[in-house]
Amino acid sequence: MSLASQVSAVVSMNVKSIGQRFWPSVSTALAVALVVVVLLSFLAMANGFQKTMRGAGRDDIAIVLRAGSQAELNSGLTRDQVRLIGEGPGVVRDANGDAVISSELYLIVDGVKRDTGTKANLPLRGIGAAGAGLRDGLKIVEGRMFASGANELLVGRALQREFRGFDVGSTVRFGKTQWTVVGAFETGGTVFESEFWADLPVVQSLFNRGAAVQTVRAKMTSPEAVAQLKAYSDNDPRLKLDVVSENAYFADQASGTTNLIAKLGWPLAIAMAFGAIAGALNTMYSSVASRTREIATLRAIGYGGFPAFVGTLVESLVLAAIGGVIGAAAAFLFFDGLSAATLGASFTQVVFQFALTPALMLNGLILGMVIGLIGGLLPAMRAARIPIVAGLAER
Amino acid sequence: MSDFKLVWKNLMRRKLRTFLMLFAILIAFMIFGVLAALEQAFDSNASSSGDRLMIVNKINFTQPLPISYVQRVRALEGVKQVAHMNWFGGYYQEPRNQITTFAVDPGSYIDVYQSEFEVPDAGRRVFLSEKTSVIVGKTAADKWGWKVGDHIPLNSNIFSQKNGARVWDVTVAAIVTPKKETADANFIALRYDYFDETRSFGKDQIGWMALTTTSAAYNDRLVKQIDEMFANSPYETSTDTEKAFSKAFVAQLGNIALMVGLVVGAAFITILMIVGNTMAMAVRERTREIGVLKTLGFPGPRILKMVLGESLLLAVLGGVTGMLIAAAATTALRGAVGNFVGGLAITPVIMVMGAVMMLLLGLITGLMPAMSAMRLPIVQALGRS
Repeated sequence: MSLASQVSAVVSMNVKSIGQRFWPSVSTALAVALVVVVLLSFLAMANGFQKTMRGAGRDDIAIVLRAGSQAELNSGLTRDQVRLIGEGPGVVRDANGDAVISSELYLIVDGVKRDTGTKANLPLRGIGAAGAGLRDGLKIVEGRMFASGANELLVGRALQREFRGFDVGSTVRFGKTQWTVVGAFETGGTVFESEFWADLPVVQSLFNRGAAVQTVRAKMTSPEAVAQLKAYSDNDPRLKLDVVSENAYFADQASGTTNLIAKLGWPLAIAMAFGAIAGALNTMYSSVASRTREIATLRAIGYGGFPAFVGTLVESLVLAAIGGVIGAAAAFLFFDGLSAATLGASFTQVVFQFALTPALMLNGLILGMVIGLIGGLLPAMRAARIPIVAGLAER
Repeated sequence: MSDFKLVWKNLMRRKLRTFLMLFAILIAFMIFGVLAALEQAFDSNASSSGDRLMIVNKINFTQPLPISYVQRVRALEGVKQVAHMNWFGGYYQEPRNQITTFAVDPGSYIDVYQSEFEVPDAGRRVFLSEKTSVIVGKTAADKWGWKVGDHIPLNSNIFSQKNGARVWDVTVAAIVTPKKETADANFIALRYDYFDETRSFGKDQIGWMALTTTSAAYNDRLVKQIDEMFANSPYETSTDTEKAFSKAFVAQLGNIALMVGLVVGAAFITILMIVGNTMAMAVRERTREIGVLKTLGFPGPRILKMVLGESLLLAVLGGVTGMLIAAAATTALRGAVGNFVGGLAITPVIMVMGAVMMLLLGLITGLMPAMSAMRLPIVQALGRS
């Protein structure tokens, strides 16, 4: 009998006997499934958050902040600085020769979260005339754009989903000021959908900000032109500014939270995996123990130790694979597309959706198989070493 | 031979199996300990606030209030002391070295927060008299090796000085220690007068106020009265207890309690299945022995107790070790997450919860096998191979 056919015979005996140890086998598979679910829930959360932030940024838009301010909220620019940026190299000009830039104000207002009923920080962005045109894939899905000079708000779809009282047509009070929600917009699920937009001069006057602006977004002729604008700003002592591409800005904003989530997820999943390995080892040792006589018999009729080794290992891997697939499927069912909101680096709520990709699910399956591999290895070695005579004597 | 010795012998009969179960239990309790401490730290930022009230701008707490409001609130009946604070956005050397920094009025700040922090007398006098002095929380001082008298160049990611400088030169007046282990001490308080006269914009504005009352009985009335007083002004206020305010802030991070609950739940279901199964297996193997014990005159309930004792011992041994590791891990993590959640610690509440879960785990995993062992008829037990 060839080694291959010995191996396949023993493997099929092993796999078919799983049913005899039904509960231990179920518990092993479920333990693996739970580990996979925990890992994938964290990875899906980190990935969803990152997608929301990163999707918002464009390579050919420069965002200009006061040096060292780190976030739009902390920044502040003078009128002179805004003018100088408009005159900078690489900035796109429209038919009239005006720079395509949007001066913006980024304020925080309160909104009430639907699920907890507690107040949370929401960003109100006053945008210049060019502002809407600088956002990719902007679609007004309900109502209309705010009118210039009016107390009118445009609301992001994601914000509407998580916070109450911002339907199109409703009146909103921020302190003493009253606003009407005139439209809702989508930007393909990016962070902008967690914002209110309004006309910059209106926001400036109703929030007592004079002519102050916090950031400037400038449309650049090419992604490379961002570096030119940066060099121009660095060489002018009047401009103590940070000039970065919008893409780089949002990547940086995403990194802190994404790292935190991922750094929490992996250690937790690995710790749980150790527990699951202990469970798998127990199950597989008992599997080997219950088949001692069977293995010894096979050895007596000429089977080698190797088929016994492979048989046990495959049994463990099969259990782990079943668990892994169940875990990945459950994670996909429960978590993919789940809407959540957390405090982002700008100190405001970022609404995002958990996003589980095939690559992430593969991570989960691999972790599951590693549990099966380690949990099966030692018992498989014991199976290979069962002495024939003593094994046959075993009851 | 005592019952305990019998239980112990049973447990040690298959050392590897016992060790693996202990290990799985240890992991679950370690996860429980660390996550419960994390959740508690988030919560304790909320609960450490005594009976203080907070007054913030009604639009949002990041919007400013005029400093003139402080005197008007101080004049109200039942108000003991009002502190005002302004977020400074402080960092040291690099923007990523963030330190929670407030600009405060020194006298009222110490009055209002003295229940939270131990401020040495000498340092208090310096902070009260010297304009450029600051008080520094112990965590921040330890992290950067600052001592009393040191000059610190303090950066702000929001403010700049009128002269264009981006750095405030401050001197350490005192290093203060929180009275509660779970309080956050990565902070600096600098003086509002120094900050206000040097900053380039926002003069005479403050971030928010915190006040103490002469009696908690005044609180409800004051909450209403303050907001009514400033209604229809350009700066309307929102007043609430500091507890409610902190709770809402923690809620902004997302549903932490739910996430923690899910993970701990998953970990415990896992070990429940693993240990439950293994215990059942272990008792089944011993069927004949149990028959022998019964023949020798051991009554059923005693056998029940012995099997339960075994699963309880397993749960307690693994659980206690896991909690000890969690305690060590939280101490180690404390520095790393200080910026976020204040002090991490395994508090007595967590220990009690852990103990209850060990008991439950031991009882649940042992009950089924113990019952079947107790009910087993002798003849059948001896007959079974």
